[in-house]
Amino acid sequence: MVDKKEILRRAAKSVLEADQEEAERVAREAVEAGIDPFLVINEGFSKGMAEAGELFERGELYLPHLIVASEGMVSAISILEAAMTQKKEKKTGVAVIGTIEGDIHDIGKGIVATMLRVYGFEVHDLGRDVPLKNFVETAKKVNADIIGSSALMTTTMTGQKTLEQELKKAGLRDKVKTMVGGAVVTQRWANKIGADAYAENAIEAIAKARELLG
Amino acid sequence: MPIAHVMASGMGGIRTAGDLVARMQMARRMRLPEAKRYVAGKLGVAVVDLSNEQVMREVREDLDIGIITSVPGCAKGMEAKFRIARLLDIEINSVNRFRAKASI
Amino acid sequence: MKEILTRMGDGERVTMSVSQVKEDLEAGTRDAADRGKIPELTAAELEQLLEIFQDQNRIVGVSPGEEVVLTHDIGTLRLMGDQANSGVGIPLSRMQGILIHERAFAADTMELGHIDYSFKPIKPVISMEMQEYELASLVTIVPLFYGAMPNLGTYFRPDGPFGNPSDLLPQGKIREAREAQEGAAEHAARDMFYISNKLYSVGCDGINFDTTAAAGDADFYATLNAVAEIKKAMPSLTVEVGMAGEFILGIHSELFFNGERLAGMYPHRQVKMAEAAGADIFGPVVNTNTSKSMPWNLARAVTFVKHTVEVSNIPIHANVGMGVGGVPVFETPPIDCVTRTSKAMVQIAKVDGL
Repeated sequence: MVDKKEILRRAAKSVLEADQEEAERVAREAVEAGIDPFLVINEGFSKGMAEAGELFERGELYLPHLIVASEGMVSAISILEAAMTQKKEKKTGVAVIGTIEGDIHDIGKGIVATMLRVYGFEVHDLGRDVPLKNFVETAKKVNADIIGSSALMTTTMTGQKTLEQELKKAGLRDKVKTMVGGAVVTQRWANKIGADAYAENAIEAIAKARELLG
Repeated sequence: MPIAHVMASGMGGIRTAGDLVARMQMARRMRLPEAKRYVAGKLGVAVVDLSNEQVMREVREDLDIGIITSVPGCAKGMEAKFRIARLLDIEINSVNRFRAKASI
Repeated sequence: MKEILTRMGDGERVTMSVSQVKEDLEAGTRDAADRGKIPELTAAELEQLLEIFQDQNRIVGVSPGEEVVLTHDIGTLRLMGDQANSGVGIPLSRMQGILIHERAFAADTMELGHIDYSFKPIKPVISMEMQEYELASLVTIVPLFYGAMPNLGTYFRPDGPFGNPSDLLPQGKIREAREAQEGAAEHAARDMFYISNKLYSVGCDGINFDTTAAAGDADFYATLNAVAEIKKAMPSLTVEVGMAGEFILGIHSELFFNGERLAGMYPHRQVKMAEAAGADIFGPVVNTNTSKSMPWNLARAVTFVKHTVEVSNIPIHANVGMGVGGVPVFETPPIDCVTRTSKAMVQIAKVDGL
């Protein structure tokens, strides 16, 4: 008899330890035992990922480990999804993300993109030094729910304000949520330019993104 | 903004003995208390006077190791550094290079 | 006094009660202690910090005799640079900027830096930098460093020859990302040695490696290896290693120096690596959190720096520029915050310099 609590504990641990084989094994056992797949994803694997993300922000876990952990989680989730009786939306949302035009810093933005994918977002990472019109056009094309922009310099963060204006001009502003981040960006700046959210780090970015989409 | 730090806690550069204490940290990795004691000893002043403009102006003038206002005839630039190297008994790379170039 | 006027980490003015300030001081030191696995500030030290915030004068300072050495980085870009370098756009030559710092800004040391301020772009113009240094060293009295950022990012595509880990990692190409970082680190270390050697040949007093580890553990690895080679070949060239962030981002995660994994290191362990490489001065960084108060940020920063000072065998010059060391993340850092950071770092963390 498979214990539900034990399955959830092992699911979280498999992600935290980036053990893809164990993650897949737990997923299969959960399916055979008829445990609710949503529960296993939310209370098991996602919890492990959240803890991994927290450790990463503290410098106790590193980026390659997070990447492997996320691959394990994605693989396990696909096993669980196959067993779902009701249609679960594959994606949590669609995100377009990039570093603002004129700015080539992208380490933090890349981490946020990775984490969004792990949490089920369809992510369109436009890269670095992204012209504002690219944000707007891609958001239209992929029906984005969230547009995330990163700026690490005081000279480039003004692009985030201009992006808000460009989205209004394109008639897109009411259809998307905007999120800003970067070393020089603050909540005060987000409020000033009318962005929907500001995130200090990758973990906060995920929490805010999920909050924005309800 | 650096000026705010200078006002709050800076030694004062060549207004006082800041450059000299810095030289000891650089040349011999001295921690601050040791660097201050060493420089104070070489200058013949109390440690607390290393940042005292009134004391250090006279000391720097007497030793001719560079002063903050531009007085004709007082050691400047490389001249002052030559004297500082000798006073503190340290090697200063730019001084050694000048010496080599000038065949002194 | 019932209320204290202070600021948030983004510079916004706020009023806090004494008990709120106390709570934030305790929370800040606790956060640092928890993350770094280091001691919290003592009750007496927290009381000292509280007094610094309770003093409602715009400017606070240390007592006579407590002053510390102030080293300047970013060269003269502060004066003639643009906003991106926190510069104020005064058209000046670098020589004029250096002399202004020595003679008008009471600098204890000064620095010559290139307008791009990274090591890689210096290579093609090294002759220019050498001759500028030669001339400046003839007319200056204060120690004159040459400063630049290791900036490993300049070695990744599109700026450099190596694959970009930011592109490779999201594709799951961990091995390729690691190889790219290792290759870039080797090239960077070689360039940093080359540039340092050239400047040493014209009598350079010291080299400042600014914002070390900005691109993660490979950036730190490259710098440490460069420093080790530099000190072996040029022992009289002072080396200052100033950091970019409070912990080393593990983008590679399997890089070791002196037998220790670099990823995840906090300042008190970073300094031991710098020492092992032969560095003469170390500049720790603690990042300011814009969502937290100044008391929280400063207590946290002082906790990290104090422990670094205690374990170090070389002088510690804490970074206290915009957004670090307890100073708000704001382009024109408020003077009340800057002077409080100065006072706390000197009197409680017992730094050797700033």
